[in-house]
Amino acid sequence: MNLNEKVYDISEAGSIEPEGDRTIALQIGPSHPGSGHMRIKTRMDGDIITKVDADIGFVHRTSEWLSERRQFIKAIPIVERIMLPDTVHANLAYVLALEKILNIEPPPRAQYLRSLAAEINRITSHLYGIGIFGIFLGSSTVYMWAFGDREPFIDLMEMLTGARITNSYIVPGGVRWEMPKGFKEKAESTLQYMENRFNDYNDIWAKNPVVEARTVNVGVVDRNRAISLGVVGPNLRASGVDYDTRKASPYAAYKDIDFEVPKMNHGDSYDRLLIRIEEIKQSIRIIRQILKDMPEGKIIADSIYSQLNPVMKKVFEQEQRVMFPAFFNQMRPAAAESIARVEAGRGEIFFYLKTNGDKYPYRFRWVTPSFRNLAYFSDVAVGYRLADLPAIYGSIDYFPPEADR
Amino acid sequence: MKDKEKRKLRGDVEGNARALATGFKYLVEPNRMTLDYPVESMKLAPNYRGFFTVDDKKCIGCSMCEMVCPPEAITMIPRVVSPTGETLPVQEGASQEAGAKPAKKTKRPVVNWGRCIYCYFCFDICPVDAFVRSNVHDLAYYNDADYRPSYEGYLKLPEDPVKKSKKVVPRPDMKRGIKYEPAP
Repeated sequence: MNLNEKVYDISEAGSIEPEGDRTIALQIGPSHPGSGHMRIKTRMDGDIITKVDADIGFVHRTSEWLSERRQFIKAIPIVERIMLPDTVHANLAYVLALEKILNIEPPPRAQYLRSLAAEINRITSHLYGIGIFGIFLGSSTVYMWAFGDREPFIDLMEMLTGARITNSYIVPGGVRWEMPKGFKEKAESTLQYMENRFNDYNDIWAKNPVVEARTVNVGVVDRNRAISLGVVGPNLRASGVDYDTRKASPYAAYKDIDFEVPKMNHGDSYDRLLIRIEEIKQSIRIIRQILKDMPEGKIIADSIYSQLNPVMKKVFEQEQRVMFPAFFNQMRPAAAESIARVEAGRGEIFFYLKTNGDKYPYRFRWVTPSFRNLAYFSDVAVGYRLADLPAIYGSIDYFPPEADR
Repeated sequence: MKDKEKRKLRGDVEGNARALATGFKYLVEPNRMTLDYPVESMKLAPNYRGFFTVDDKKCIGCSMCEMVCPPEAITMIPRVVSPTGETLPVQEGASQEAGAKPAKKTKRPVVNWGRCIYCYFCFDICPVDAFVRSNVHDLAYYNDADYRPSYEGYLKLPEDPVKKSKKVVPRPDMKRGIKYEPAP
């Protein structure tokens, strides 16, 4: 995308360029006509798209600015609220960056619980994406199904953390709550239910000839193009690159877990639809392994646990609830910088944190997967018909608040 | 269209027939998991993060909860300790009895429910574990001022507004995903 290129103004909507240019400007959005809180500025030649320019920033929430003016612990709820369908990953990425500065290594059980929460969250995030793609293509059935099937997984998170979406589950040194009794059985039946549902999803959605007709060969991005655009996550893997941060630089418990990184070959909207179903299958496999292999032990690092006062230690013995030492309130890490990378539902989150010995972060920077997938817009839809735009936009699983941060 | 290797469409009668058959299956036997709120409402687990209050006698007024609160929902208000151990509001200009010891000053937290995000950081940072949790969460107020209770108002845990409804618990179900069963 050439940033110096002329940006078409909203006043140009419907106007015809002078002197022989037969294209007209068409504004899609920003008031959520299925575009999300963003504007897609297009130039149309008849109904063929000749230029697409994504205009973002309508839901910018200054998460970096806010976090640089608060204690370190307070950034956890802030980053969660930026990525609402994907809260655990945002929380995890920030805490990983903070732990590198504080030099805390969480115990193995906490690592497994983090991976468990992350994978449940990945399933809910992909179901969200599938549902939104469904309504973009006019299939309200899949929209209702996917959002309904998110519910059992959100219920699992509620059982684990006490909140449905904004869990604030991961803190420096470990996790806040132990896995409750009966969680394993409930998780297993939820996973079985989801596995049984795949057949119905295939019949109604993934293998439905109507869906195929609208998505196959639409929005094709080949392997090299996807790499040069810097696309991340399922969209990259749909173009045939099996890159996954969980494999490339394992965090939490992923180095002990056996799973595959699914990839597709054609890189069209249909592959981006299928890859999410394949990833849900892999997440189910990972959750089963975690529940089977989870080691015993503490859920919080000894360096944090030793700072708890006797009342807090008693609470931990009785309720398996980790209370915060006063250190969480008065963290003043020495000058250092760190990065963290986490494979979130939509792709890789990159976190950069710099401290200078003060009680607030000196620099708090994060790049979200949706922001990196923005590169898709200017490139992918060009040459297709206007009616193909929802099929392309929906398949990217783009979440505007996440990109605007 | 871009000159890419074209994929072959599978588009066939069978696929359409299968989609219609599946749709018909769910038309006859719908797998609704909707909760009929407020006729039924969920009995939430004890670890559910809902409205909470503070134990007046346990609290030591250290302000840690105010410091850790991410949305700055907690305000510490000045109180005085009464002889019974409970706290009383500070009375400005109250006449002191001659020779009586001045009442010990302290502080107590009050939560602005319009700002609270239920992260329970205050809950966990409290050095004496003075907060008391409840799993009441479905509560709305009629006007803005009610979101900021007085300390006395904050001490009372809100009542469950749908306590008369049929209480159910979600159970995983192979057919519906979630099935609501009567709470034990």
